[in-house]
Amino acid sequence: MTAMTKPGKVVVLDGNEAAAKGVALARPDVVAVYPITPQSSLVEHLSSLIASGELDAELMNVEGEHSVLSALQGAALAGARTYTATSGPGLAFMFEPYIRQPGLRLPMVASLVTRDTLTPQCVWGGHQDAMLVRECGWIHMYCETVQEILDSVIMGYKVAEHPEIMLPVNVNHDGNYLSFGVTRCEIPEQGLVDDFLGPKNINWHAALDPERPMSVDPLTGNAGGAGPSMFVRYRKGQTEAMAHALDIIAEVHADWAKRTGRHHAPLVEEYRLEGAEVALITLGSMTGAAKDCCDALRAGGRKVGVIKVKTYRPFPVAAMARALSQVKAVGVMDRSVSYGWNSGPMHQDTLTVLGKTGLRMPCLSFIGGLAGADITEAHFERAYDAVFKAVSGDMPPGPLWVNEKD
Amino acid sequence: MGAFNSLTYNSNICIGCGECMMACAKAKSGDADRFDQSRIKIVPAGDNKFEAALCRQCGDANCVVNCPAGALTKNAASGVVDWNADLCVTCLLCTVGCAYGGITFESSVGHVAKCDTCGGDPACVKVCKSGALGYVTTASIYNDYGKQEDLFAPGLAACQGCNSELMIRHVLRRVGRNVVVAAPPGCIPGMGTVGYNGKAGAKVPIFHPLLTNTASMLAGLKRTYERQGRDVTALALAGDGGASDVGFQSLSGAAERGEHILFLCFDNEGYMNTGMQASSATSFGSWTSTTPVGDKLQGKRTDAKNLPMVMMMHNAAYVATASSVFMEDFYRKLDKALAASKQGFAYLHLYAPCPSGWRFPASLTIDVCRLMVESNFVTLWEYTPETGLVFTRPTDKPKPLESYLKAIGKYRHLAQEQVDRIKKLLEDRLVLLKRFVR
Repeated sequence: MTAMTKPGKVVVLDGNEAAAKGVALARPDVVAVYPITPQSSLVEHLSSLIASGELDAELMNVEGEHSVLSALQGAALAGARTYTATSGPGLAFMFEPYIRQPGLRLPMVASLVTRDTLTPQCVWGGHQDAMLVRECGWIHMYCETVQEILDSVIMGYKVAEHPEIMLPVNVNHDGNYLSFGVTRCEIPEQGLVDDFLGPKNINWHAALDPERPMSVDPLTGNAGGAGPSMFVRYRKGQTEAMAHALDIIAEVHADWAKRTGRHHAPLVEEYRLEGAEVALITLGSMTGAAKDCCDALRAGGRKVGVIKVKTYRPFPVAAMARALSQVKAVGVMDRSVSYGWNSGPMHQDTLTVLGKTGLRMPCLSFIGGLAGADITEAHFERAYDAVFKAVSGDMPPGPLWVNEKD
Repeated sequence: MGAFNSLTYNSNICIGCGECMMACAKAKSGDADRFDQSRIKIVPAGDNKFEAALCRQCGDANCVVNCPAGALTKNAASGVVDWNADLCVTCLLCTVGCAYGGITFESSVGHVAKCDTCGGDPACVKVCKSGALGYVTTASIYNDYGKQEDLFAPGLAACQGCNSELMIRHVLRRVGRNVVVAAPPGCIPGMGTVGYNGKAGAKVPIFHPLLTNTASMLAGLKRTYERQGRDVTALALAGDGGASDVGFQSLSGAAERGEHILFLCFDNEGYMNTGMQASSATSFGSWTSTTPVGDKLQGKRTDAKNLPMVMMMHNAAYVATASSVFMEDFYRKLDKALAASKQGFAYLHLYAPCPSGWRFPASLTIDVCRLMVESNFVTLWEYTPETGLVFTRPTDKPKPLESYLKAIGKYRHLAQEQVDRIKKLLEDRLVLLKRFVR
């Protein structure tokens, strides 16, 4: 079967506006907003779309991120498709309802316009905020481009609401670089998105509805009686759905590509790995500079490639192993730190993949792009150099801090 | 059998003025001076006290049992013991049976006479200056709402003497099935209302919000139903900790936005479910497990946050305080709050003295509830933006504060200066509240 791809309208906009446009196309019922840098223009765009009538949704201007997500959980339990966006301290304040959402199995899409965390005081981009919530049971997808933001927000709903998944999805885009970076973007037609998403069914499993009375989230667990096995059943089901999401994410990306002609790697993108000796692993908008650097080095005859992670949670172990199996050494470029491991979080994930699959190779940790710092092609070139040195036995003892001497 | 309205008489406050007898005589004979025609007789009982000879409208009346002619019958609708002149043979066996002097032979008319409660509008009560005579009409609550389905499961595990369980059952009987109930962590879900291990504690949709987000979750839910064109009541059954401490931001935000929510706060002055820790609603001087009494500290060091006043300052559509000892007042307020919650934010603050945490016998909850109001420790009022504040119980003749404090173990240690501080606080608060009366 070959579906016709339909060209959309081409516009020029930044990542925050692209997210807002993607949300509007997904036709949420309830949108709750609270502004925070660098997310604010996103919710401003959404508010405007609702004010103008372009998006028919209930707009809730609530008093903080904690209530933003709480209100949306109530809305979802009444059957609403919901959306919000936040950043850094806002995500921290949202944490209490945030960790509850996956356990309630309430699907939604929330954009994390990623930002470094306090303190030192900063308002600039980085992945530290999103990394701090990587083990909460939300699906995390990181975008490389403005177009990918728009597409992933829409795809996010399809993944979240899949009856075998029923989990919330964070579609993450880098604060500053993507939130305010203006580029070309193709806006699909409403009919295409409607057909793609299909009818919504948000609360078939857990509802607060007088027509279907039930207790939602009664106390469970503890030792003895029905508690322990019941709690395990919930937890295990949630964990298995998370693992299964990798398949669904791949299916959904393929479906989207068929309809729009836009192919985004669903889990891991292998960039110029054919014949590569070393690769750098990237996440988010830094990937553009990494690819440019890779191209330049390839032109000079150096055997380098890029492995971009799109889906960070659940971590795509098999896809990553497939990519890693093609190189002799790898460096992981994190825009955040893992305090506990003196490296980056994605570096730890990569080491786990190596351990799990039996692959053995030097795996370096690079930490760059903190608090809005730029990771340039020159930085990437130095990173490749360090990975090549590691191949010949010169392994640095700790992480390499990319912007340390900027 | 239903419940009945009834006349009450309090011999402790009767001043023996006799106005009631004159009113009764006038009602029954047209002549206020015909005391013999009064069906209530106030008689001296020594020590300047009085007693009333008055029909008690007994449920299993000796007069009825004794009557050989079937002239006396217990009226199943009104509860009044009716006397039928056409059947009476004036044998006077009824008067022998009655221990209260409630039915007596009236020589001037030649037959027995007894109180018929003036058909439910007793003349005596209207003229009683001391308040010794009353007419309790709360039977209508039992009759009207007793027929409504109890929407909580039987066997909730609240502590003995807890009025919160009683009140939530009343609330849901009135609100009915078309509701979603939020029960944030605390005594109300702790007693099993949401359920355990997959078993539900209510017959309506009910859930645990977080302690912090009750009003926000309900707001999103309610907005969704309104968007769907469905009228579903969004009801919170929260405690004072979840409302005035960590839940306060979401509560305040929802009130500011005028979300269409009915928010009930059961104020037991602390985190009683988890071991009686203090909240911001705990009153000054109270012993709690986190405001203990010792050489250095003597209970809570700050005054309670007065949440109903704070909610009033949000200009919510309806704000009221209520006590489970004045049930008609409570039901009137519940009805108003329910109606207001269709258009705006309605907040109802219920006083919930806690036998376990406050240290008083479980059998005395209702007495404590009454003393609390009658000593002006709390005041009952309601507020709407249109009417301002209206007191729904008089505040002008409070009982001594000490009578309330002494009834409760958590105040046992209070020094005189602590009592004085509470007195001052209560006086100042009353002055402040009165400024909101129009």
